[in-house]
Amino acid sequence: MIQTIRIGTLLRETVASPYRNLVTRPTGAAIRNRIQAAIADSDCHTALLDFSDIELLDLSCADEVVAKLLLDEGGERGVRFVVLSGLREDQHEAIEHVLTTHRLAVAAMPGGEHPAPRLLGWVTADARAAFAFLCERGALLAAELAGALDWPAARAEAALEALAVHRLVQTDGDRYQPLPIG
Amino acid sequence: MTRVIEVPATFDDRSFEQFAAAFGQWPPEEKILIDARGAQWASPFGLLAMLTAGQALAEARRERPLFTIPTSDEVKRYWARAGFFKYAAELFELHGKLPKATASGPSDVLLDVTPVRATEDVHEVVEKISQGASRILHGELGLEMKATLRFSMALSEACQNIVEHAGTSGWVAVQAYTFRRRLGRRVVVIAVSDAGIGFRRSLESTHAKRFGDRWGDGAALEAALIQGVSRFRDPGRGQGLAFIKRFLDQWNGKISIRSGTARLAIVPPWDEDVPLSDHLPFFPGAQVQIIIPSQDAETR
Repeated sequence: MIQTIRIGTLLRETVASPYRNLVTRPTGAAIRNRIQAAIADSDCHTALLDFSDIELLDLSCADEVVAKLLLDEGGERGVRFVVLSGLREDQHEAIEHVLTTHRLAVAAMPGGEHPAPRLLGWVTADARAAFAFLCERGALLAAELAGALDWPAARAEAALEALAVHRLVQTDGDRYQPLPIG
Repeated sequence: MTRVIEVPATFDDRSFEQFAAAFGQWPPEEKILIDARGAQWASPFGLLAMLTAGQALAEARRERPLFTIPTSDEVKRYWARAGFFKYAAELFELHGKLPKATASGPSDVLLDVTPVRATEDVHEVVEKISQGASRILHGELGLEMKATLRFSMALSEACQNIVEHAGTSGWVAVQAYTFRRRLGRRVVVIAVSDAGIGFRRSLESTHAKRFGDRWGDGAALEAALIQGVSRFRDPGRGQGLAFIKRFLDQWNGKISIRSGTARLAIVPPWDEDVPLSDHLPFFPGAQVQIIIPSQDAETR
């Protein structure tokens, strides 16, 4: 089950004004608190943060809303997944910048110039390739990825494990499956 | 005794040093008179420097300073339309005839002089600038449309530095004009200034030890602008200036920060500024200037 959280709605409720610009750390922290409260009240295992109503996202807010949310929601593997949607190119850039600094990553839904799901932040080239393959082909075993990409088994397993640690794929026994974002 | 501080005829970031030096010891003991009668032109940086001086004197509980307004009708009208006198009247005892209030600022003023006191002000600044930024940046300067949003991000981060680090309020102004002397092209200039604690004091408790004897205003500016450090230990902090630098590198822009007795600039090829100037006359707080030039056909 996926819980969609509209960031624009949270922003309007939080700052009590018609602003569509998500700027400043205090605003970002307030939005993050609202997101965490919404997640805590839900049984869904994936939270889809919808940025489509947001005009500007500055670095401070990207750090407070996305990076700190991932840091807080991290920890025990397999509890909660976070996916972003409705991002524009400059918002991609801001989120990519702050997540790279923290060595974090998040998956973003297709949109705009990007017809396929993509990863934002800090992941290895192998993990990116594995993520793209997984999104295209669906659930698979590490051995299947290794065969398809002509990688040694250990390399495929390391790439998929890196995705799992960053909570960018779901695991079911030995199988890795994409988040429901395609 | 009254100390007369003459406003340079052309008041920008370069002639600012003459203005700062005229105060002598800070805060000055004497009553201050800022004499702008001979002023012919002031950049946003110059306008904010005068307000910052007035604010710093008020915060140092010095006698309310005097201010003589420019003799030139054209200059005082321009300063009035940029919003300068609205705030100068709160800080100075103004002498001279003020022009009648005008409904709106000149078209090349993207953001008139605006106080930054709290987070809400940063929201206001970003809202206001988004209305005119694309007209100037895309229409006049030839930057890509996406540069408009990056510009607003840079502005937001620069203003937040005041709220988060200065320990007092500050000012921001954004203007477009032709940079004849140094570049011969249209530019957009963001000026942000505060009368707060400055970069050295802001970073001292967390970073001074690492620098040892080298620690001072210049080292603090280097730490913030070049190394991207912040007084907070959170690795997510200090990214604002790093982003601004990256944005400016892409658009051949320039950033300079003056704080205390030092000034550090990231100098683009079109300018001949000195990257680091130390042992300058003391001036309170921090003054940031960001310049984005129009793009030539090669860059576009």
